[in-house]
Amino acid sequence: MKVLQVSNLTKTYGEMPVLKGVSLALEEGERVALMGPSGSGKSTLLNCVGGIDRPDEGQIQVGGDDLGGLGEEALCRLRRDRVTTVFQFFHLLPTLSVAENVAFPLQLKGVSGAELQDRVDQAITEVSLKHRIDAMPDELSGGEMQRVAIARALVGRPSLILADEPTGNLDSQTGETILDLMESLSDQHRIAMLLVTHSPSVARICTRTLLLRDGSLDSAA
Amino acid sequence: MTGTDSNDAADGPGMLRSAGLLWVRFIWRHWLREWKLTTLLVGVLALGVAVFLGVRLGNKAALTGFGFFTESIAGESDFIIRSETGTIPVAALGKLRQAAGALPVSFFAVKERSATFELKDGEKISLRLVGADWVALQNYGSGGGGILGSGDNDPRLGESGAVIIGESFEQTHGISEGDRFKVYCDDREVELNVVGIIPDDPLRPEVPANLVLIDLPGLWALVESEPSLSRIECQLPSGSLRDELKRAAELKLRESAEALNLVMETPQDRKTSVTEMSRAFRLNLTILSGLALLVGIYLILQALEATVVKRRSEIATLRSLGVTPRQIQQAWLLESLVLGIVGSLVGILLGRLLAVGLVGAISQTVNTLYYETTTASVSLSVGEIAFALFYGILSSLIAGWIPAREAALTPPAQGLRSATRVGGLAFLGKYPIALLMLGLGIAAAWIPPLVGQSGSRFAVGGYASAILLVVGASLLIGVLFPAVARLLRAFGGKRVVISYAASQLARPSGRHRLTAAGLSVAIGMSAAMGILVASFEYTLTSWIGQLLRADAYVASGGNPSISNDGIIREQTWQAIASSPEVEGVDILRSYLVEVDGVRVFVGGTDLNSDSARYLELVWEETPDEIGPDALERLSGDLVAAFVNEPFFRRFGLGKSDTFTIPTPQGDETVSIEGVYADYGTETGTILLSRKHTSAWFGDNDVSNLSIYLKDPDSVDEWVSKLGQNFPALSVQSNRRLREESIRIFHQTFAVTYALEAIAVIIAMAGLGMALAGLLIERRRQLATLKAIGTTRAQIATMAMWEGVGLTLVGLIGGYFVSLALGWVLIDVINPQSFGWTLQYYWPLRLFIFLGIAALAIGGIVSWVVGYRFANLRSDRTE
Repeated sequence: MKVLQVSNLTKTYGEMPVLKGVSLALEEGERVALMGPSGSGKSTLLNCVGGIDRPDEGQIQVGGDDLGGLGEEALCRLRRDRVTTVFQFFHLLPTLSVAENVAFPLQLKGVSGAELQDRVDQAITEVSLKHRIDAMPDELSGGEMQRVAIARALVGRPSLILADEPTGNLDSQTGETILDLMESLSDQHRIAMLLVTHSPSVARICTRTLLLRDGSLDSAA
Repeated sequence: MTGTDSNDAADGPGMLRSAGLLWVRFIWRHWLREWKLTTLLVGVLALGVAVFLGVRLGNKAALTGFGFFTESIAGESDFIIRSETGTIPVAALGKLRQAAGALPVSFFAVKERSATFELKDGEKISLRLVGADWVALQNYGSGGGGILGSGDNDPRLGESGAVIIGESFEQTHGISEGDRFKVYCDDREVELNVVGIIPDDPLRPEVPANLVLIDLPGLWALVESEPSLSRIECQLPSGSLRDELKRAAELKLRESAEALNLVMETPQDRKTSVTEMSRAFRLNLTILSGLALLVGIYLILQALEATVVKRRSEIATLRSLGVTPRQIQQAWLLESLVLGIVGSLVGILLGRLLAVGLVGAISQTVNTLYYETTTASVSLSVGEIAFALFYGILSSLIAGWIPAREAALTPPAQGLRSATRVGGLAFLGKYPIALLMLGLGIAAAWIPPLVGQSGSRFAVGGYASAILLVVGASLLIGVLFPAVARLLRAFGGKRVVISYAASQLARPSGRHRLTAAGLSVAIGMSAAMGILVASFEYTLTSWIGQLLRADAYVASGGNPSISNDGIIREQTWQAIASSPEVEGVDILRSYLVEVDGVRVFVGGTDLNSDSARYLELVWEETPDEIGPDALERLSGDLVAAFVNEPFFRRFGLGKSDTFTIPTPQGDETVSIEGVYADYGTETGTILLSRKHTSAWFGDNDVSNLSIYLKDPDSVDEWVSKLGQNFPALSVQSNRRLREESIRIFHQTFAVTYALEAIAVIIAMAGLGMALAGLLIERRRQLATLKAIGTTRAQIATMAMWEGVGLTLVGLIGGYFVSLALGWVLIDVINPQSFGWTLQYYWPLRLFIFLGIAALAIGGIVSWVVGYRFANLRSDRTE
C-alpha cells in the first residue's frame, strides 16, 4: 500500500528551477534515504511533501489524498496526524517537559485523560526515556532531545515521518543509536520514513537511497 | 498503529480550548520564566490605566462635590426653581406655594453664600454656607430621627451662628458638636457654633466635607443682607400617584415660575449644565491622561512583538506540529487579553490611590477657572471599574493585534530558514498612507467645534487633527533612517562599532520603524505639551504683567474662586478707598447671571481716574475709546460694554453687537464696544460702568478693589496694616498676587509634567525591548561577530550606537510631531474649547533637555540590552 506518491514535481524559485519533474513513491513501512549535495532541492522536496511549500507543477498524494487540493487548515491537520517531522536541531518546545512535549500534538487533537497518558507513556517508553519523563529540554543531551523528538513524531501514529538530517547534530555513536531506534520503530509500527541526509551511514537503515542532483532524481543506489 | 485514530477529533479541540491549551502550555510558562518582563508589562499597563482612571476619578470628585443639598439630606429634588439673575425674592416662595394649591409639594428655600475657613496651617479653604428651613428639614432623614438624629430638638438650634455640619467635615477638620469656629464671610469675621452633625447614611449621598448648614434667617442675619433666596427646591412624596402628581405640579409650578420671571428645571438639567460647563477642561485632562495609556500601548506592542521574535523558533515548531495560524493568533491575543485584565485590575487599585492625590489640585483649578466647587471623597463605582477594565483591555488587545498577526505568519520549522520575513509591520513603510493622514490632519483643523446645550464647545476637528497628524508623522518617520545612518557613519569615521550600527539603520527593518514611530509619538506628545504649557505661561505672564498694575488687591475672604459671591460692603470699601495712603482705586462688582442656560459674569467697573495709573486691558478687538472713562464716553442710547474673549467665542458676539442682560429690574440691552483677552476664566464676562450695575442690581457693594498707593514702595507695610484692620479681607500686594497666580498655574499643570516624564520613561523602556528583539532576530549575526573575535563589550557598544541612532530618528520625528501638535493645541483646540488665544512660545531649553536626556537614556538602555544579549547562542531558543 502506497503511503506517498510524488509525481512529476516541479518547483522554481524566481528564475532558478529547484525541482525538475521529481517522482517517487514510498510503501507502508518503507525507509528511503534522500541524498544529494547542498542546493540540490532536498529540503524543498521535503517541504512540499510536508505541505509547507506548494509545487508549481506535479502531484503529491499522501494515503491517496492529493495535497494540492488541501487548504491551509487541512495541511495543518496533515502535519498533526499523518506526516510528522524529525529535525536536525530537534525543535523541542523549551518550556515543556519531556512528557508535555510528547503529549502536545495529541492535546492539539483533543485527546485527553487516560488515553493521552497511555499513549505518551508508550511513546516515551519506546524511545527509552521513561527515566527522564519530567526533565526539561535544556537538561537533556543531544541524543535524548532527538529521542524526545522521535517520540513526539511517533505519538500521533503517523503513516509517514519526514526526517531532516536526524543525526546531523549528534556525535557518530549517538547518531547510530538513534538510527537503530528509528529503524526498529518503523518496523514495529509500519511507519514509512523519508530521511534527508548527507551521511552515508543513514542509508544503512534504508531499503533505498535516492540521489537528488540539480533538481532531478539521478539514480537509485 | 499507523493512520489516523478514529477516536481523535478530526478538527481538534474548539477554538477556546486550543487557545487555552497554548496559553497554559506556553505563554503562562514564559511569563513565569520571564517574570521581570511580565511584571514590567503588567506595571506599564497598570500605570496607564491608573493615570487615566485617577485623573477621571479625581476630576469627578472635584466636580461633583456639591450638587444640591437636599440630595445629601432628603434625596434628590424633583424640580429646582431659580432666577437668571441669581437672586429670588422671598415673596416668590408664597406665590409658588399658592400655585401648587392642594398638591403635596414640599418646598425647600435655599440661600447659599461662600465663606472662608482658615486652617491651622494658615491655608484658607472655601466653605459653602447653605441656609435652609430647619423646621422643614426635620421631616427628612433616615430612621425617622430627622437629619440630625438625636440632636433635632436641641434648644441651641435657635442660637445665632448655630450650624450643622456633615460627618466628613467633622473628621476632616477635627471640629465636633459643641465646638465654635470662625469663618470669613464677605468682609467680616463671624463665629459659628456646631450644634449638630449630620450622620453619614449609606442610603443617601455623602454630605460634602465643606458644607455648613445654617438656618435661613440665621444666614440672612449673618451676611446682613436683605432676605432673598438662591433657589427653591421642590419635592413630591413617593407613592403610587407620584408620577401623576409630578406632572400636575410641573404644569402649575412652571406657569407660576415663568410669571415670576424664574426658571424651573430638573436636577438632571442642572447637572448637565454644570457638567457641560467644564467639559473642555475634563476632556483636556482625559486626553492628557490618555497619553500615558497611548505610550503604554506602544510599549506593550513592542514587548509582545519582541516575544514573537524570541519565540519564533518555538512558534515554528508549533506550526510544524499542526497548530494552525489562527490558533497561534488566538493564543497571542489571549495573552494580550490576560495581560489587559491583570494590568487593568492593578491599575484600578493604583488609580484609586492616585485620584485621592489629584482631587485637591483639580478642584483648585476648577475653582480658579470655572465655578466654586467642593471636593467629595473619591468613590469607585462599578461603572468606573467597568470603564477602566474596558479601556485597559481594549488598549492591550490593540497593542497585541500586530504581534499576534506576526506570530500567525510564522512558517513551520521546516520553512523557517528559507522563508522571507513577511512581518506584521510592513505597513510602517507605506509613506503614501502617512502623507494622506497628514493631509487629512491639516484639513481636520478647519472643522468647527461642536457646541453643547450650555454653550460648551468640543473641538472635534482639533482632536481628529491631532490624532491624524501624530499617527501620520510617526508613520513617515522611516524616511529619516538613511540620513541618520549617514550622520552616524560620518561621526564614527573608521570606528567599526559605529559603522556596523549605522549599517543596521541604513536598511531599517519593520521593528526599527516601529521603535522610531513609538519614540516619536512619546517625545512628540511630551514636547507638544511642553510647547502648550510654555505658551500658556508666556501668554499668562505677559497678560498679568499688563493687567496687574495696581499696588495691592483687596477681595473678600480670600477664596480664589472666580465665582466667589463674597462682597465688600460699601462702608468697608469706602473706608479703604478714602484712607490717606491711597491715591486711587479700580473697583469691580461682579454678578453671576444666566443667559440661555450659560453662566455669564456681569462686572460693574469704576476705574481709577485720579491717577495716570488704571486697569489697562489687553485688547482682542480694540474699542474706539480707551482710558479710565472709556465706557462712559462710548455709551450713547445704549450702555457701552466690553466683553472678554471667552464671551466672544461662546456667543459669537463682538464689537458693534448688542447683548441683553437679565437683571432684577428686567432685561437691559448693552452695546459691545470691545473684546479683551482674559486668561483668568473660561466663563464669559461682560464689563460695564458700575453706575449701571448698581442701579440694575440694587446695591453699592463691590467684589474687589485694586489699590494705587501714593507711595508704592510702602505697599507691604500697607497690606499688613489693612490685613490687621480687616482680617476677613484678602489683601495681597502686586508681587504676591503675581507669585500666587504663577503658583496656581504650575499646580494646575503639575500633572502634565508627571505625564511627560512617564511618557519618556516608558518610551525608553520600549526602546530597550525593541533592541532586545532586534538582537534576538540577528542572533546568527551575533554568533558570526563573536566567531570573528568581537568582544561582548564591543557588541554592547554597537547596540548602544544603534540605539542612539534610533533615538535620534525618534527625536527628530518627535520634534516635528510636537510642532504640528503644538499648532493644533494652541491655534485650534484652545481657542475652540476654552476661548483663549495663546501666543506661540517655543521652549528651546525644554527641547535641548529632552534631546540630551533621550539620547543619553537611549544610549545607556541600549548598551545594557546589548551587553545582556551579546552572548545569545544561534542554536538555542530564548
